[in-house]
Amino acid sequence: MPPFDRTPLQSRPFKQRKSFATRKQEVAGIRSKFPNKIPVIIERYDREKYLPPLDKTKFLVPHELTMTQFVTIIRNRMALLPTQAFYLLINNSGLASMSLTMAQVYKDHQDEDGFLYMTYASQEMFGH
Amino acid sequence: MLLFFCLFLVKGLKVRIFWLATKFKEYPFLSFSYVCVACLSTLTYDTLRFGEFEDFPETSEPVWILGKEYNALKEKDDILSDVTSRLWFTYRKNFPPIGGTGPTSDTGWGCMLRCGQMILGEALVCRHLGRDWRWAKDHKQREEYISILNAFIDKKDSYYSIHQIAQMGVGEGKPIGQWYGPNTVAQVLKKLAVFDTWSRLVVHVAMDNTVVIEEIKRLCMPWLDVAGEAEVVGELNGCLEGACALAEEETALWKPLVLLIPLRLGLSDINEAYIETLKQCFMLPQSLGVIGGKPNSAHYFIGYVGEELIYLDPHTTQPAVEPCEDGQVPDETYHCQHPPCRMHICELDPSIAAGFFCKTEDEFDDWCMRIRRVSGLPMFELVDSQPSHMVSVDALNLTPDFSDSDRLERFFDSEDEEFEILSL
Repeated sequence: MPPFDRTPLQSRPFKQRKSFATRKQEVAGIRSKFPNKIPVIIERYDREKYLPPLDKTKFLVPHELTMTQFVTIIRNRMALLPTQAFYLLINNSGLASMSLTMAQVYKDHQDEDGFLYMTYASQEMFGH
Repeated sequence: MLLFFCLFLVKGLKVRIFWLATKFKEYPFLSFSYVCVACLSTLTYDTLRFGEFEDFPETSEPVWILGKEYNALKEKDDILSDVTSRLWFTYRKNFPPIGGTGPTSDTGWGCMLRCGQMILGEALVCRHLGRDWRWAKDHKQREEYISILNAFIDKKDSYYSIHQIAQMGVGEGKPIGQWYGPNTVAQVLKKLAVFDTWSRLVVHVAMDNTVVIEEIKRLCMPWLDVAGEAEVVGELNGCLEGACALAEEETALWKPLVLLIPLRLGLSDINEAYIETLKQCFMLPQSLGVIGGKPNSAHYFIGYVGEELIYLDPHTTQPAVEPCEDGQVPDETYHCQHPPCRMHICELDPSIAAGFFCKTEDEFDDWCMRIRRVSGLPMFELVDSQPSHMVSVDALNLTPDFSDSDRLERFFDSEDEEFEILSL
């Protein structure tokens, strides 16, 4: 059985909750205050049944933080066992290379609004 | 519609009669009970799945099966013989109850567990018989082959039986009868392999889509840690080359590696950018194939042709098999004797685990070299050593409760949500 319920409060993705203009403005504001940090949005895959929701969606991360370090932080937050499957997909499509820094990932994958979007998911289960 | 149904029946019947006729021709001595069992199993087949057994396509495109390339026009028999030689684990019924009082059949829930058995079975075949070994119906079985089959027979004390897998899964948060994912079964196999002192495998499950070479070398050559320093290894080698008579286990310088890499190649659908990379996995000589499936149905993928994946399907319920008194195992139902199933690669559910087998250190080094050469979007990353922060995970546990003022630095925006600031 899925151990966690979906959070109805944040069921709609961040992009749908705020307009493009608002998001763009938000990035401009935060980047002027924290020029050394990258604004990242992390959301749970809407059909995820096994990983818990995160209490935060918006993160400001240092440029030099590697993806492995970032994943370690998120895994710890969720109190996951090292053997539990956890994947971060960038822009809902590709797996992030763990050795890249946030600055490298941001350079290649930032959204037009200036955020870097990531979705986390475990694995599907199979039975018939 | 009716016409189609009639055709279907006739086709099914014809094949069944032919099948039985062949059997009788070959084995006039077949016992009555054996024929009954055979009838029953073919009946289940035909009624459930007959429509899917299309003949293998006649195409000039290369066919890749677990690292071997075939020409479908000239080598069809070789292709079918290779496929038939793989161990085929399906749903079974009437086996001893799991845990003494649990289920006696895995129909409806065991498909990923069976796929786990198939990928590990392939590893055991490579380990004990070699990739080029071929199964021949009703030939005297090699001792190693019987031992492999016995490791998967549906009873509680086989190393990798459905009983062992289901019960070991409880520790992974999966009560008996629950559905598994590719990572679940990989984790369970890793635990079970420790008890298989006959195969002495290292089953390594690479997490976070990252394969760490140093970690694997340490697992496959644990004596390096014991020895501590590189010089000592040199001495050890020298000693082995000399007259030092060590037990067979000790002289093996590399514990055979089964590398399982659970992945998620997309959210609801596979990201098409991974398709070419995935195909290349089946072209590596170390390939053990891929476990995964279509949404809900697990399959064991053993290769591809064109844009189609070739797979063995566990979704056929066969009666459980008891080993004979003479130690032989009635093994016909453990080999898929019809042309293998195929499906379009885009139908693949993104949750998979790719498997590789490296019997020697050289094979592993060769695998690393080949992985680095794979073109296209990498499905996983290969790194030399473990990033240092992974060792001291606690140092990175940045929670808002930390008293460290730098870490507590927060920014409140004008709206409901606030940013969380992470610092190094």
